[in-house]
Amino acid sequence: MLGMPLRRRLRLLVATVTAALLALLATGTASAIQPGGITDEARLMNDLFWIVTIAGLIVFGLVGAALVYAMIRYRRQNDELPPQFHGGGKIEAAMVGVPVLIVIGLFTISMIILVQIDDKAEDEALTIDVTGFQFSWQFAYNLNDLGTNTDPNAEGTIAVIGTPANDPILYMPVDEPVEFLLKSNDVIHSFYVKDFLYKLDLIPGRVNSFTVTARETGDFSAQCAELCGTNHALMRFIVRVVERDEFDAWVAAEAARQLGDGALVSASGTQGD
Amino acid sequence: MATVAVPQLSGYHRPAVLDWIMTVDHKRLGILYLYFTLFFFAVGGILALLVRTQLAVADNSFVGNDAYNQIFTMHASAMLFLFIIPVWAGFGNYLVPLQIGAADMAFPRINALSFWMLPPAGILMFAGFIVDGGAADGGWTAYSPLAQQTGVGMDMWIIAVIVLGMSSTIGAANFLVTMFRMRAPGMTMFRMPIFCWTMLVTALLQLLATPVLAAALVMLFIDRNYGGQFFDPNGGGNVVLWQNVFWFYSHPAVYIMILPGMGIVSEILPVFSRKPLFGYKAFVFATIGIGGLGFSVWAHHMFTTGSVLLPFFGFMTFMIGVPTGVKIFNWLGTLWGGSISFPTPMLFAIGFVSMFLIGGINGTYSAAVPVDFALHDTYFVVAHIHYVLFGGSVFAVFGGLYYWFPKIWGRQLNERLGKLHFVLMFVGFNVAFFPMHMLGLDGMPRRIAVYADSAGWEALNMLSTGGAFLIAVSMIPFLIAVVMAFMRPKDQPDDPWEANTLEWATTSPPPDYNFDSLPPVRSERPLFDARHSGEEQGH
Ligand SMILES: [Cu+2]
Repeated sequence: MLGMPLRRRLRLLVATVTAALLALLATGTASAIQPGGITDEARLMNDLFWIVTIAGLIVFGLVGAALVYAMIRYRRQNDELPPQFHGGGKIEAAMVGVPVLIVIGLFTISMIILVQIDDKAEDEALTIDVTGFQFSWQFAYNLNDLGTNTDPNAEGTIAVIGTPANDPILYMPVDEPVEFLLKSNDVIHSFYVKDFLYKLDLIPGRVNSFTVTARETGDFSAQCAELCGTNHALMRFIVRVVERDEFDAWVAAEAARQLGDGALVSASGTQGD
Repeated sequence: MATVAVPQLSGYHRPAVLDWIMTVDHKRLGILYLYFTLFFFAVGGILALLVRTQLAVADNSFVGNDAYNQIFTMHASAMLFLFIIPVWAGFGNYLVPLQIGAADMAFPRINALSFWMLPPAGILMFAGFIVDGGAADGGWTAYSPLAQQTGVGMDMWIIAVIVLGMSSTIGAANFLVTMFRMRAPGMTMFRMPIFCWTMLVTALLQLLATPVLAAALVMLFIDRNYGGQFFDPNGGGNVVLWQNVFWFYSHPAVYIMILPGMGIVSEILPVFSRKPLFGYKAFVFATIGIGGLGFSVWAHHMFTTGSVLLPFFGFMTFMIGVPTGVKIFNWLGTLWGGSISFPTPMLFAIGFVSMFLIGGINGTYSAAVPVDFALHDTYFVVAHIHYVLFGGSVFAVFGGLYYWFPKIWGRQLNERLGKLHFVLMFVGFNVAFFPMHMLGLDGMPRRIAVYADSAGWEALNMLSTGGAFLIAVSMIPFLIAVVMAFMRPKDQPDDPWEANTLEWATTSPPPDYNFDSLPPVRSERPLFDARHSGEEQGH
């Protein structure tokens, strides 16, 4: 490198730095997004994320390279005035046309994926009533709405209620659709599970709902994503995705414990147990 | 001509302080705006350092959760309402009359009123820190019903923002009349300097959007203090209504915060490329396009509320990428084939283009609705807004300061210190904000005061905090350069940069009345024409 003329050395340096930055950008985002979510819906979103990312990297690479090239190639070398080019019809049409094509392409793809994600509401899905409050969560299960294996004559509700110091655990079965009904009675919260690649707000005065099908078992940390006051940061919870029989066993145990004497017992199933 | 004896107040000189307080001169008001806004840039910056210190390590207790909410709320409020929005009014005040060859703004006294509404509003907003319950802590977005719960600091914040809105509304009217009515002979609309065009569209946005915010804030004030229930579902109100009216202002406000910065960059790039702005008219129409589309994308801040027509707002949000993309081409085309030199203003302008490019690309993630479900309200969005408003707007502010410093203060800022300032700020900025993309993808929500060690976010947060302090360090060479400049005599010629626009056709700094004479205006570059008249010009 030392033997080269200054200009080539400079170009090489700039090219290396640019390539390194690009590589950093790509690997950084790649490593951060993995794993790409644990639900069917999340995997669709993950695909879209990569499409947007690749399109973005191409635009960044082309424009960045053009910028760096122009800065080197056209740097001032003498007092001569460069050609006074104002622009022209064809180039300006291309200036509009290229971005139009890119954004319409991306829009179309994101709408296709949006429709696929939304098209999942199923009546027989297990329903979990989620209530956010300052500053934790309540997850309630109606015994006659537990998805497959439900006894339609069962009565009663079991609930898991957390505290800011004691993160509640949300149990859900793997490989079947689960519907979440989101409610709040105080301020706006947001139900955000990073591994669902999804969030939806809990809004006083309305009920929001969404459905997902988890494909991996395990514990996944989650938390409130909408500023809701002093201890907003402590409004965390755990999503525990388990096999169906494990889920049924948990429900049975909780029902016996909470409904055995007819009372609804709080704070069971929290992380501190 | 008959001579009339005018009584002379010889012997009386107004004290300098009074002179500044009483002034209706657009240049002095512009300078006051700049001092005021840079002061609040420093205040907002100190608050940002507190935020970054708190987040540097997991489970930190450097500031409590309550204090943290006040600090980040006031950081954003200071930066947006007391720095970025009025700093453009500062540049605009100083430059618009000079660039169009006028002697002053259309309504000089109203202009003074616009400025003097700012200090009381700033004091009122920050006085929240000394009242019971502390300063506003509901975020700068003040989402209801959370904004109904907090203390009297919130009421002070509401009143302050209403006053600031009034200031920018009447300021906007003043700019519009000035540009429509007071241009020099020969300066058609399409010969107006590009910075003026961006100020014009900004003023239109302010005039149309700010009153909506004012109305929303009055409703919130009534809800809080007089039993109103506009945003309270228990009384028949609607929680999401607040978000609709708030973002109806605040999304156009993002363009209010960036368009004049684009204008400044579009003044600097041609001068130091020694070429005209590539596609001037396309740039003007793109600016108008951004302004128009800016009113139809507000709900992309609300995709996760479950009460938004997703396809429409997703589409409009993507569409706003088109005029933005056009501008990137404008700037590239300006550099292309030029004869480019790299003094400090040019470095900041190119820094703007490259960082704004990233800010445009990472914005498309939020337009792709399903991706927004994942990234909304995470640090990814924090990265995005800072690439637009810091990598964009703040770089443009400093580019503009280095560029017009010789005109405004008659002195040059030291080039070496300026370049050091740029390099430190550019590196610090990227170290501070690029890791936030990864944090957001890794699920770190914004506006949280603490995170658990087990979340695994500590290393990137520590890196980001280091970058934030590097940005703070980059201000040292800038301040030294300013002090050094003021210790020197005013020695700058009319036109030290071989620039294009009329402000360089008068002395540095200009006299009270601005111009002794004006060159003829036959294009958007009257000074270039004057310098090169007689030579053959390429096209
Ligand atoms: Cu919450």
